[in-house]
Amino acid sequence: MASALLPLLSSSSSPSRPLCLPSNSSLFTILSTRRLRLCCNSRKNRPHVTLRLSAIDSTAPLSKGSGDDSKKPLLEVRDLTAVIAETKQEILKGVNLVVCEGEVHAIMGKNGSGKSTLSKVLVGHPDYEVTRGSVVFKGENLLDMEPEERSLAGLFMSFQSPVEIPGVNNIDFLNMAYNARRKQLGEPELGPLEFYAYIAPKLDLVNMKIDFLNRNVNEGFSGGERKRNEILQLAVLGADLAILDEIDSGLDVDALRDVAKAVNALLTPKNSVLMITHYRRLLEFIKPTLVHIMEDGRIMKTGDSSLAELLEKKGYAAISAV
Amino acid sequence: MAAFAFTHQIHHILPTPASGRTKLRPKRGRSRVSIQAVAAPVASFSNQFVLELAESLEDSFPSTSSLPLQKLRDISSQSLLSTQWPSRKDEPFRFTDTSSLRQSEIKPIAHPPEFPALLDNSGDPQFTNVVIADGFIIDSLCNFSNLPDGVYVGSLSRLSSEGIAKRVAELLGDFQWGDLFWSVNGMGAPDLMVVYVPEGCRVENPIYLRYISVEGGDEGARKLPLSNPRVFVLVEKGGEIGIIEEFVGKEVSQCYWANPVLEVVIGGGGNVKHSYVQNQSLSAAHIKWTSVRQESSSSYELVEVSTGGKLSRHNVHVQQVGPDTMTELTTFHLAVGDQTQDLHSKIVLDHPRGYSRQLHKCIVAHSLGQAVFDGNVKVNRYAQQTDAGQLTRSLLLEPRATVNVKPNLQIVADDVKCSHGAAISDLEDSQLFYFQARGIDLETARRALIFSFGAEVIDRLPYSIVQRQVKSHVRELLESTQKAS
Repeated sequence: MASALLPLLSSSSSPSRPLCLPSNSSLFTILSTRRLRLCCNSRKNRPHVTLRLSAIDSTAPLSKGSGDDSKKPLLEVRDLTAVIAETKQEILKGVNLVVCEGEVHAIMGKNGSGKSTLSKVLVGHPDYEVTRGSVVFKGENLLDMEPEERSLAGLFMSFQSPVEIPGVNNIDFLNMAYNARRKQLGEPELGPLEFYAYIAPKLDLVNMKIDFLNRNVNEGFSGGERKRNEILQLAVLGADLAILDEIDSGLDVDALRDVAKAVNALLTPKNSVLMITHYRRLLEFIKPTLVHIMEDGRIMKTGDSSLAELLEKKGYAAISAV
Repeated sequence: MAAFAFTHQIHHILPTPASGRTKLRPKRGRSRVSIQAVAAPVASFSNQFVLELAESLEDSFPSTSSLPLQKLRDISSQSLLSTQWPSRKDEPFRFTDTSSLRQSEIKPIAHPPEFPALLDNSGDPQFTNVVIADGFIIDSLCNFSNLPDGVYVGSLSRLSSEGIAKRVAELLGDFQWGDLFWSVNGMGAPDLMVVYVPEGCRVENPIYLRYISVEGGDEGARKLPLSNPRVFVLVEKGGEIGIIEEFVGKEVSQCYWANPVLEVVIGGGGNVKHSYVQNQSLSAAHIKWTSVRQESSSSYELVEVSTGGKLSRHNVHVQQVGPDTMTELTTFHLAVGDQTQDLHSKIVLDHPRGYSRQLHKCIVAHSLGQAVFDGNVKVNRYAQQTDAGQLTRSLLLEPRATVNVKPNLQIVADDVKCSHGAAISDLEDSQLFYFQARGIDLETARRALIFSFGAEVIDRLPYSIVQRQVKSHVRELLESTQKAS
């Protein structure tokens, strides 16, 4: 496959145009794209990496990652600023982040640094307004899409505190969401029985009993059950990019292991994970490609998992000083 | 996201509880709270319209050989003749306009339907099925088999046991809180359906009472056929039974007035599960009384789902006559059209350690729709250690949709635990977003959430087959509003 041959190729073609090996190779100019992308090669052994290089605004600030630039960027966040819709208070103050296919990124940071806001802005939460910058997801402008379109495009966020929905059955909710996906793909929707057959095996993945499906969405769920339910939804719906917002908070170590196991089982060479967490413990279970430290609405530092270790040993002050 | 503008009014009468906790849920939007004294009813002579109504009821039903029924007619006729037609100046009818009835030519239905066999009787074999058409018991459509020994279900006129007849005669119509509509039923009930459960008897199969309104005028017609079905349920000590009442019109948009009364007497330790489903025609008037008398340690659970009728009102009166009773009232009212859905409930606790829970929910999905709730819980002097809770929640989906709620506790005892609250709201944004975040569009999400609001009550109906029927009916009604808008 061409990927092996073209680690340093960049393209001037349009973002939506897939790059195979065209007969007219003069389209390509060889140059270093190290400064363009925040990709990493820790998963370079993955079998198939499709090439689709995008023209990226080269005015973007230097990204600090290094590695295999052959990977296809899945999510590109450029200079993103966002305010709370009601108070206009600025929370994100210029976030830059590129997540490539097959990568696992972790965002850490103090309370109030903007981690959760970033994840909510990405999925289109109405409490926030984007004031500047761009977000490109799979080559499309994410900010133009409604929340449900973002979900259907392959973006999934597990909520930090999922809301209770009394009167709506868990299985009905999942069925509705799954059918929305099938409808978009032009596939026939599944009736309750067919869907039951589809979902029943997935329960093992999150180590939940079947009666879990007959309860109302998150109603009376324990903290652990809510998190498992979020991961069950991820397993049912699938996602190109899963944003896990503090999936580890409030979990005991066994539950954390279950959840991490489920997430790992869902990882493929193509899909990516963006984890938001306070604790290194989660990173032991789900190995990150890159760790970012967020502070005051920006990503201040990016590195490998050693950054998380440093953080745990010496705190945020040490990171800022480095 | 669509904006949901609405106006609504809340009217509260909150007699300050002598003690105990009073919890008020937050109210959103514009609300008006008025505190006022309840005027004592003034005895007065009835007006011309009521006299004419009484006369036509008397003409329709000549004297009966059944003594209890005749006694009921006589008492009712007396009280009717001293009652005025209610106006909006009367507190119990402040938000419920009954003038449309008054402007009609009311014709009591004096004969059972001609072709009862044509009535759809899709009774489920797991129930004891009873069909009451225009107030008449249609024996040919009832199945009274599989009843345990000593249990009687059927017309008073066919009752052979003198013992039961005597008990019924003692208790029938023994009720001092009725209004004009109670009396109209007492005068105009052509027959009395009796359900009798002897001491200690647990009836497995619930009694399914299907009330069908057959006669009816076209929409907008002046002539208004009136039916007065009456049912008396007597459960002796330790007896248990389930009662399902379903009200339907033969035609979808017919004009008629159904004015049913159900009396329930529950002996010590007895248990009655009452399901009440009102699916009348959207042009009909439906005014129902349910009177319940609970002796010590008895329990009564009502689950109501009312969706039909242009004017629909349910008066529930639960009287505690012994200690340690359990009472649960759960209701869901839906107004998808130009409808009034009214619940007037009263739970009177006179003895210690009573437990009562009330949940009232309503959705008004039409700009001319209205829901009314007046829920009174009275905890009298000797009702110490009462535990009473009451909550009403309303969902207004259209501009100008109206709800008038008046949850009220009157507490005289000083050692009680009572709570009540009212919430009027639109759908929760956070819940809508949760759906969207999973790829479900806003419209589908709204539909699911609106439906789930009522499902909380429907899920409490004790029989799954009834639950399923009601759910599909409610879903249909809600979808009709979404298509129209």
